[in-house]
Amino acid sequence: MNSKISALMDGELEARELHEPLSALGADSDARETWRTYHLISDALRGGALLSTDCAPRVAQRLAQEPALVGPLPSTVRPPDRARWFVPSALAASVAAAALVGWVALAPQQGAGPATAPIAQALQAEGAKEPARLPLTSAARDYLIAHQAFSPRNSLQGMAPYVRTVSDQAVARKP
Amino acid sequence: MSRAAGALLLWAAAGMAQAQAAPEALDWLRKIYQATEKLSYTGTFVYQQGERTETSRITRRADASGGIERLEVLDGLPREVVRTRDEIRCYLPDSQTVKVDRRRDQRGFPALLPSQVAGLTENYTITVGETARIAGFDCRAIVLAPKDELRYGYQLWADAQSGMLLKARAFNRAGETVEQFTFTQLEIGNVARERLRPRHAARSWRVEQSAIAPANLAEAGWNVVADLPGFHKVVEIRRLLRDARPVGQVVYSDGLAAVSVFIEPIAGRTEPARIGLATMGAVNVYTREVADHLVTVVGEAPAASVQRIGNRVEFRRPQ
Repeated sequence: MNSKISALMDGELEARELHEPLSALGADSDARETWRTYHLISDALRGGALLSTDCAPRVAQRLAQEPALVGPLPSTVRPPDRARWFVPSALAASVAAAALVGWVALAPQQGAGPATAPIAQALQAEGAKEPARLPLTSAARDYLIAHQAFSPRNSLQGMAPYVRTVSDQAVARKP
Repeated sequence: MSRAAGALLLWAAAGMAQAQAAPEALDWLRKIYQATEKLSYTGTFVYQQGERTETSRITRRADASGGIERLEVLDGLPREVVRTRDEIRCYLPDSQTVKVDRRRDQRGFPALLPSQVAGLTENYTITVGETARIAGFDCRAIVLAPKDELRYGYQLWADAQSGMLLKARAFNRAGETVEQFTFTQLEIGNVARERLRPRHAARSWRVEQSAIAPANLAEAGWNVVADLPGFHKVVEIRRLLRDARPVGQVVYSDGLAAVSVFIEPIAGRTEPARIGLATMGAVNVYTREVADHLVTVVGEAPAASVQRIGNRVEFRRPQ
């Protein structure tokens, strides 16, 4: 389930794959904790801690004051590759899904489908200015090691640049 | 002086120097190369990226067989890297893992040889800069200012006597530091063999080997073109990373910076893929999905350059 939550967070799931992780987030407090932890890691590594300071209840509260939009997903068609890479999808997804967690908690019997609230749209537009930086995965550490051997800078600096390959900052620790 | 003004000065200086060759600066680079090859030393350096710093000790013993080097991180868990002519071993105590990168042979390794130093002037304006005292050594700065925004600039401080590199800074177009290595203490001279021994016995640790074999990714249907002026392909190989997953790797270099393109099948991956951009100092890592494969570009270059290479990777099923 953790990998599905991670994929959901990154906006990588197709419409038909959404139901399972969303149900889990609605019903399972462990899943919600995982969701929050992943976001906390992601935000901390990107230097912004704004969204994960337990904003879900506040978003839910705001949503409760707005008419809930029950309908199909805004779009199940992925945008063209180029556009997609420059959108901080994790950030957008986090806002949309924080809204969603609130919405699922309020009306679990109505099935899965995100409520696109004005706040979420506003935040999404604001976040689109800078490409977001993701945490490096442990697979990326393998790549850093594999790459470093080929850097001509080694000729001038010896192995000092290898410190990147074992740097504590290189790997996001997941619970 | 403000940072912006400093950057402006640097670029103005770069512009002026463009017209003239700087043979003295190139001699300094050759001197640094010789020192890196020939010297034995032990010292402590600080690695700085963003607002974070990490202190490490580096020890090198030069010998006829290419020397041995050992790097030990002094902050937090004692992570270690030991390099010999044939392999690199990374010791990671938190996961009790040793990652081994074997070097089959030296061919194709894009070392910056003294004879190739002059070639750097194609992409960088190289000048001799200030004198400065670093960790007790009287140093001379050498500035490699990039001729375009596709690469970072570098400022190197070398000991005037031995040529040993005491400090290295990578900077972006705005002149801001993206990464810095600074020795705070250094002793040049004989190093006892015992000091190269890894502190971790690591007998019960998991060993992850990375074997290398030549490859032809174009034959497999991959179209990888650097399309980045000044960067040339230096090597194309296939690796087996942990879990024995086959990964293609193409390396491009402009003589100083290198960019690797990794292509890996998504099937069989044990951890979820992260699509997007990540950064470690002067290294940007950009991942996207192409035809059921993950394409990851890892390079000592600005994010835009790394993304540009990644976005040009195409797959066409071979006929």
